[in-house]
Amino acid sequence: MTKKKICLLGAFAVGKTSLVQQYVNSIFSDKYHTTVGVKIEKTSVDVDGEAVDLIIWDLHGEDDFQHVRLSYLKGSAGLIFVADGTRHSTLATALNLRQIAESSMGSLPFMLLVNKADLADQWEIDDEVMEDLRGQGISVIPTSAKTGQSVEWAFEELARKMVGK
Amino acid sequence: MGSPNTDNESKKKESTEEASIDALKHLLFQPESDRLAMLENRLDDPMTRANEISRSLPEAVSLSVMEGDRLTRVIQPVIDDSLKESVRKNPKALADAIFPALGPGIRKAITATIMGMIQSLNQVLNHSFSIQGIKWRLEALRTGRQFAEVVMLNTLVYQVEQIFLVHGDTGIVLEHVVAEGAMIQDPDLVSGMLTAIQDFVRDSFSTDGESESDGDLDTLRIGSNRSVWVEKGEHAFLAAVIRGNPPMELRTFYREIIEDLHLKAGSALAAFDGNTQPFALFRETLNSGLRFKEREDSQQISPVVWLIVALMVAAAVALPAYWGYRVNQASQEWKGRLEKIRDQKGVLVVSVERDDGVYRLNGLKDPLVEDPLTVLASENRSDIRARWQPFYSLDPAFVFQRAQTLLNPPPGVTLSLDRNTLIAKGKADQAWIDTFDIRATAIPGIDAANGDTLVNTDRIALSTAVNTLTALKIYFENNSTELIPGQTQKLSRLIETIRDVNRLMVILNLSVQITIVGHTDSSGTEKYNMKLSRERAETIYAFVKSRSMSYGFINTLGVGTQVRLKEETREEDRQFNRAVSFRANVLSANQGTPLNRRALQDPHPKPDGS
Repeated sequence: MTKKKICLLGAFAVGKTSLVQQYVNSIFSDKYHTTVGVKIEKTSVDVDGEAVDLIIWDLHGEDDFQHVRLSYLKGSAGLIFVADGTRHSTLATALNLRQIAESSMGSLPFMLLVNKADLADQWEIDDEVMEDLRGQGISVIPTSAKTGQSVEWAFEELARKMVGK
Repeated sequence: MGSPNTDNESKKKESTEEASIDALKHLLFQPESDRLAMLENRLDDPMTRANEISRSLPEAVSLSVMEGDRLTRVIQPVIDDSLKESVRKNPKALADAIFPALGPGIRKAITATIMGMIQSLNQVLNHSFSIQGIKWRLEALRTGRQFAEVVMLNTLVYQVEQIFLVHGDTGIVLEHVVAEGAMIQDPDLVSGMLTAIQDFVRDSFSTDGESESDGDLDTLRIGSNRSVWVEKGEHAFLAAVIRGNPPMELRTFYREIIEDLHLKAGSALAAFDGNTQPFALFRETLNSGLRFKEREDSQQISPVVWLIVALMVAAAVALPAYWGYRVNQASQEWKGRLEKIRDQKGVLVVSVERDDGVYRLNGLKDPLVEDPLTVLASENRSDIRARWQPFYSLDPAFVFQRAQTLLNPPPGVTLSLDRNTLIAKGKADQAWIDTFDIRATAIPGIDAANGDTLVNTDRIALSTAVNTLTALKIYFENNSTELIPGQTQKLSRLIETIRDVNRLMVILNLSVQITIVGHTDSSGTEKYNMKLSRERAETIYAFVKSRSMSYGFINTLGVGTQVRLKEETREEDRQFNRAVSFRANVLSANQGTPLNRRALQDPHPKPDGS
């Protein structure tokens, strides 16, 4: 059995929790976010016939990077950054978080999910920016917590990256 | 084999053929000979060998450790000696080395001890003044332990519900064991959260001055009865969820598990990539940590229960004894009672049964015995039911009493029993004598009746009456059938006596012939005197006839002067012959002869008169 710890990071109110909610098991309430600052969730994905358990550390969204508890990142095999497509600042936050994580953890497989794809008309992040990021080798995936678009795939993709590493 | 000597000899022969062979040999064997030379060099050169061994030493040691503790045993004396030598030469180096570990270690030990003491304080207080408390104080005295320790030992009740073996950095569960019946949540989520909380606690509360391990969360308390113990190693920690009050030794045990884990799988932990497979080996070890201790209350029997049990045992022993005693006593008492009943004359107990607290007797009883049970006091008869069949006891006392009762002898008669003969003595009338004769021998136990010495009062009365009658003289006037005056009493006595005789002759079944005899004095002629005497006798007969109901047995006779009542020597003597006298003959009724059986006791029995 392979188990991987991944961390879910993003600015406040980017919809991280609602994004993963329908794909994960959790026994903890959202209250943990505001108290301990993290909430543990779990999901299982299939990578080329092998089941991989993803232990998801859903970190409380922080706009102020100083408050991110780096100790929670420790031991992660992969990271998922979430931005809100309707708020450009959240992408910056995500990218900043990624930098902080990289400086602390070294290079880890990661995905960048740009949420609220269902509200495409309100998006502040245009395709050009996303293509630019993809050009830097960053996997950018538009997702929708509402429609479930690409969420499962994003987990599988990350798992594949982590196992293949 | 291609050696240099062989080559030189071949060259000397200068044979092209041989040269060709040499060339072939060279081609064939040169690499082998080069390798041999290299091997020789490696074996001979100490530096080369040391170099090579240094590369394989860690693997060799690791293999040796995995195979057992032989290496440890072998090198232990060397290390011991080295340490001793090192400390002897330079103590400061060791002191410096262990100093940083010493302080926190001591602090931790003291803290743990104080925590344990506080934990037990409540229990100590709770149990100090109970019976249990006294018992534990005695145990403390006996074993030399501190009271608190004894209390803790006696009250520790715990169960380790689950143990997580968690990779420290990732918070991923390496292995997880659960006690039977424990409720659990997803171990991955729990261990993740637990790891997060540890991080959170360390980040939030550790100060800069403390080393990293000193800021670790090592115990979580949940409510008053559950805790999570965390034993942290370098790469992994063990978390045990415990209900109750576990002993501190358990923590040591978990400490050893973690140390063992790091010893055996330290590299795997360091390089952990999410594959938990290798740690399945530790499942058994973790299972052994799922310890529990049950409260021994159920085995500790309260003194009250002991007392009850003791009483019951005593009762079980004493009651049968007492019961036996009582039964024996009752049996003795009953025997005594039965003996009393049996000892009575005229009572024969045939069978005794005991039924439902009641003695049932069957037996025979002489009718003369009123109730055989009356020999007992009334309170001793209540549990006896008796059925008696009548029988005649031949015991002389009963025979005699029965005779006495049945014959009812008159006051003048005494009965006595001589063997089987009933003897009657004294005076009795004919009626009783007849009863005696008839009934005595009909009484069981009496074969013969002897009334020979009985005096028959009726016969005496008859004799008396006869005597009275024959002594009676009734006088007449001269040459007349007129009575001289003053003889009224005599006439009354006459009638009375005749009635007696009549009555007695019936009783005695005798025939009595009374003759009224008329007399005259000697004056006058013989013929006249005969006639006058006859008339005088008939005068009295007529009188008797007029006054008496029965007179058939009376007749008259005139004897004139032939039977003189008095010799007439003087004139006054003549009057005695102017009279009637009476004769009476007693005859057997049937035979007409005097009855002599049982003498009349008449001292002067009259000869048959005619």
